[in-house]
Amino acid sequence: MSDVGFVIAGYGVILGGAAIYAATLVRRLRAAREASLRIREQAEQAPPVDRTA
Amino acid sequence: MKTRILGIVGLLAVIGASVFGLFVVPADLNQGDAQRIMYPHVASAWLGELSFGLTALAGIGYLWRRDLRLDAVAHAAAEVGVLFTAFAIWGGMMWGRPVWGVFWQWEDPRLATTALLLALGIGYLLLRRLTDDPARRATRAAVVGVIAALDIPIIHFSVIWWRGLHQGATFGDPAKILHPSAPGLFVIALMGMLSAFTIVWCYLMIRRYQLARLDWQMEEHGRLGRISAARRAASVPSPAAEEPAR
Amino acid sequence: MSRFSQGATIALTIARKDALSELRGRQASGSTLFFAALVLLLFGFALGPDTRRLTDAAPGLLWLAIVFGGLLTVARLHQLEADDGALEQLALYPVDRRAIYLGKALAGTIAMLVLGAILLPVVAILYAIPIGAAWLPLVITVALGAIGFAAVGTAYAGLTVRMRAREVMLPLLMLPIVAPLLLSAVKATAAALGGDPFGEMGAWLQLLAAFDIVMLVAGAATYGFVLED
Repeated sequence: MSDVGFVIAGYGVILGGAAIYAATLVRRLRAAREASLRIREQAEQAPPVDRTA
Repeated sequence: MKTRILGIVGLLAVIGASVFGLFVVPADLNQGDAQRIMYPHVASAWLGELSFGLTALAGIGYLWRRDLRLDAVAHAAAEVGVLFTAFAIWGGMMWGRPVWGVFWQWEDPRLATTALLLALGIGYLLLRRLTDDPARRATRAAVVGVIAALDIPIIHFSVIWWRGLHQGATFGDPAKILHPSAPGLFVIALMGMLSAFTIVWCYLMIRRYQLARLDWQMEEHGRLGRISAARRAASVPSPAAEEPAR
Repeated sequence: MSRFSQGATIALTIARKDALSELRGRQASGSTLFFAALVLLLFGFALGPDTRRLTDAAPGLLWLAIVFGGLLTVARLHQLEADDGALEQLALYPVDRRAIYLGKALAGTIAMLVLGAILLPVVAILYAIPIGAAWLPLVITVALGAIGFAAVGTAYAGLTVRMRAREVMLPLLMLPIVAPLLLSAVKATAAALGGDPFGEMGAWLQLLAAFDIVMLVAGAATYGFVLED
């Protein structure tokens, strides 16, 4: 592999890796926010926690 | 919203810095085009170290204040730190093969230190993954983070002496074999990439921290949900309730 | 009784307790010694049969065997108490955590000194190393290495003893941390055996000592957090 090949591999993995990580984070955040919202709605509808036990 | 803008700015900055480093700066007189990898490699290494420093400090902060938000910062910084350190090693390997002829060698102190840094960071993340209780996890992680941080200067000196006292070193020191044909442009490229990466780092840190807080809140909720479910189950009369309490 | 002498008494009591239980549970500590010697034997099969190659590699192989044996040793010193629930009891006493830590670290150091003392002659025989005049710097090197390993090993063993997958977590956390200890001890050992032609042994021993001090301080400072688990 020529020098240029290594440079491309270097930049490609680093920049690509950062981009993939950022995309993964955004996706996980979205999922977590939806789940958190659902839980809050559930909590408002569900019967109150039995504190007499 | 502001974070999203930060992300876009970071993306553009990295693209700009990469174009500059790849096409505008002339090739190094000694190392040729391979030297261009140094820009993202050095930037990654620096941000990886910064991240782990933050992990250690946030951990100490947690031990002092017991605020789980500090633990979330430590966790985010560790994960981002492992990412950037891995990038640094990859960059180092992609640079080493054309310039040194090998992907890896043991004389270079920075390579050795960075490899250990990566190992310490991965160990930290695995430790966190294997502990379920948030407070216990935060405490364990903080202790490991502190001890690892204290080890870094010792590692640093030991590998430098390792090379320094090594007779017949065959691999040139990266800084010494550098010979930029346009030193000014070289510095601009390096600073530019560093700044661009720092912006991206801030963005990733903010997002990872937000995720960590959400995860922990859901963990809390999961635990409380299990507790109230257990309470409800215990209050339902059943033959099993006749058993004497253990 | 001053706080210092009170702490020292506690540390020594704990060290003695651990040392005695090591001697009594002779199978466990003996097994560890035998395991480390086995490792040295196996290195012979891995790198031999050229004795010269083994002689060159001897310092590294010795310290690898000490590290592997050391991992088992520090784990064992916490295991017994964890199994009996005695660690929780220990955490309940209003005793200075640093004293407890120093006691256990002392016990660990002694155990590793024994390990080193046994492995040195094994290495000398298996890899044709003439120890002779170098015995004193070798002993100092082993002592400094033992202290450092026990210092950080005690803290990490306490941390991991109640964890899931603790058998792998302890080595996983320890090995990167002790890399500088390993490297320095090997260099010092090689220098001692070779007559220290470049006068570098002092530098390596100083680095070992610095590691020891840093880890002892860090361990003492954090052991309270480790115990509260």
